[in-house]
Amino acid sequence: MACLHDHSCEDHDCSSDWSLYKHIDIPKVSALNESVHGSVKSVFKAWEQRLSSSEGVLESNEGDPELIVFIPFTSDVKIKSISIVGGADGTSPNKMRAFINREGIDFSDAQSMQAVQEWDLAENLQGVLEYQTRYSRFQGVGNLTLHFPDNYGGDTSRIQYIGLKGEATQLKRDVVATIVYELMPNPSDHKTKSESGGGMSHVE
Amino acid sequence: MCLLEADDHLVQRHLFRREQENYRFIFQTLQFLLRFTLFIHQSSTMVLEATMICIDNSEWMRNGDYAPTRFQAQADAVNLICGAKTQSNPENTVGVLTMAGKGVRVLVTPTTDLGKILACMHGLEIGGEMNLAAGIQVAQLALKHRQNKKQQQRIIVFAGGPVRYDKKVLEMIGKKLKKNSVALDVVNFGEEDEAKTEKLEALVAAVNNNDSSHIVHVPAGSNALSDVLLSTPIFTGDGEGGSGFAAAAAAAAAGGVSGFDFGVDPNLDPELALALRVSMEEERARQEAAAKKAADDSSKQGKEGESTSQDATMSENVGASASESENKKDDLMDDENALLQQALAMSMDDPAATVTTRDTDMSEAAADDQDLALALQYSMQEDAKDQSDMSKLLADQSFVSSILTNLPGVDPNDPSVKDLLASMQNQPEKKEDDDKAPKEDDK
Repeated sequence: MACLHDHSCEDHDCSSDWSLYKHIDIPKVSALNESVHGSVKSVFKAWEQRLSSSEGVLESNEGDPELIVFIPFTSDVKIKSISIVGGADGTSPNKMRAFINREGIDFSDAQSMQAVQEWDLAENLQGVLEYQTRYSRFQGVGNLTLHFPDNYGGDTSRIQYIGLKGEATQLKRDVVATIVYELMPNPSDHKTKSESGGGMSHVE
Repeated sequence: MCLLEADDHLVQRHLFRREQENYRFIFQTLQFLLRFTLFIHQSSTMVLEATMICIDNSEWMRNGDYAPTRFQAQADAVNLICGAKTQSNPENTVGVLTMAGKGVRVLVTPTTDLGKILACMHGLEIGGEMNLAAGIQVAQLALKHRQNKKQQQRIIVFAGGPVRYDKKVLEMIGKKLKKNSVALDVVNFGEEDEAKTEKLEALVAAVNNNDSSHIVHVPAGSNALSDVLLSTPIFTGDGEGGSGFAAAAAAAAAGGVSGFDFGVDPNLDPELALALRVSMEEERARQEAAAKKAADDSSKQGKEGESTSQDATMSENVGASASESENKKDDLMDDENALLQQALAMSMDDPAATVTTRDTDMSEAAADDQDLALALQYSMQEDAKDQSDMSKLLADQSFVSSILTNLPGVDPNDPSVKDLLASMQNQPEKKEDDDKAPKEDDK
């Protein structure tokens, strides 16, 4: 399998570079205009499995090639490059637009907003092409939204694999992850210092 | 003879009621358990959702084929939905917009504040024609600008009036909603139209993604719009018991207006329940005694019949709950003489007819009072067995006596009242005419 690196693949394992998929918060991945709900999750896998469509393929709805994929990460990442494997017969996307750290982007937003970066894609059926990012703009990415406005003439758009290359930091951008609701106040949950063994207690 | 029958009947009813009480107790326990388990599980089945409800306030909503009017039935259903949504998840938001009138107007943007939503439903004007496409598009826009982007988007449309748009246009709108992953629920009520149904079905089919969108057809009938909706997926969510509110409400609705004996939960307030039960027994015993008296005195002709029956009428007028009996007698008043006589003749000749007519009248009277309803039912059953004269007597008398007991300050053991009751049964025909006369005098 030829890579675009300037070395031969036998020396190192390409897959270790494309390991950002491990930092994706898979349950929270979502897509708009997908024909099968939840099929977008099957698109993020190890580099070796990029061509296998055993787990399913992200396909858009009949007659509408537009797709938006929302990718949240478990920690902030820096993205160096992106690889896309599309489908055959003109179902590969031909353009990709990326937005970072914006939630809830829908089609009208995507069309009107200025993307952080845009690429023209080639039909990359073997998964050997990677598209580099303007690295300075992709530092500290909490979530990434990819918008595929059009394809190579097929009725639907199909994406088999999305690979991300880069580095993960241990930082987390989003502070409030879960909120716990109290239906009734439970004093044992709110022990003051005095109750739990001394110290200066402050009573409101 | 009458006494024996009544006794038997009393015992039978008693046993039946015991049985009923047992079943009701079991039902109550089950209901309590259901609510308890749903309460416990609620935290794990909450769907975070922002909902926009599109209300139809077109001219077609003035129609009364849904009680009391289509618009009112719709408002009740909306209130119920808002309650269910906000209860199933505290972070759920609901907004409301109207589709007819001068144009599509957003009454309240998606909010968690139930009071705000209920308040905005007041003072809505009915008029114009429903603009379905614009309504859905504005709802979609309102949802797009929701504050919490994590919420799922849902639109609920109440389609009462006719739909003017093409099927194609609606399908396009549906596809757009599906593309933006907005779910749509449609309540098809009001105007019944083949084309309308077809269009709405096509719309929901276009939006539907993984069974998240539904359409419900509610024909006009005796069931309230809200009751019908309670059992649909609109309330119960996508399969799972989306809200304990809905399930409990549905269970309560299925079990009758009040699932409890006297509108009071014996679990919550045993003393009150007991008191009510005791008074019920007392009432039954007293009616029993009065019936016995009626049987004994049926042959007598009281002289003071006229004046006392006048008194009876007037005291009835005075009583608060006698307003319903007033209405009943007013109805008689308003009829032509001939019709009145005919009605009387019919009711004298045919006990079955009496029972049914009495039934409708008294069901109004008993609407609020479970005790009264039970008493009347009891009297109904007795009527079926007795002769025509007796049936009318008893019906009249028990109805009146139960009215009297409900009057404040009237003691059933008062001798004058007892005289009244005694004389009442002696003068069935005269009483009707006398009712007419004193009423005319009174008015």
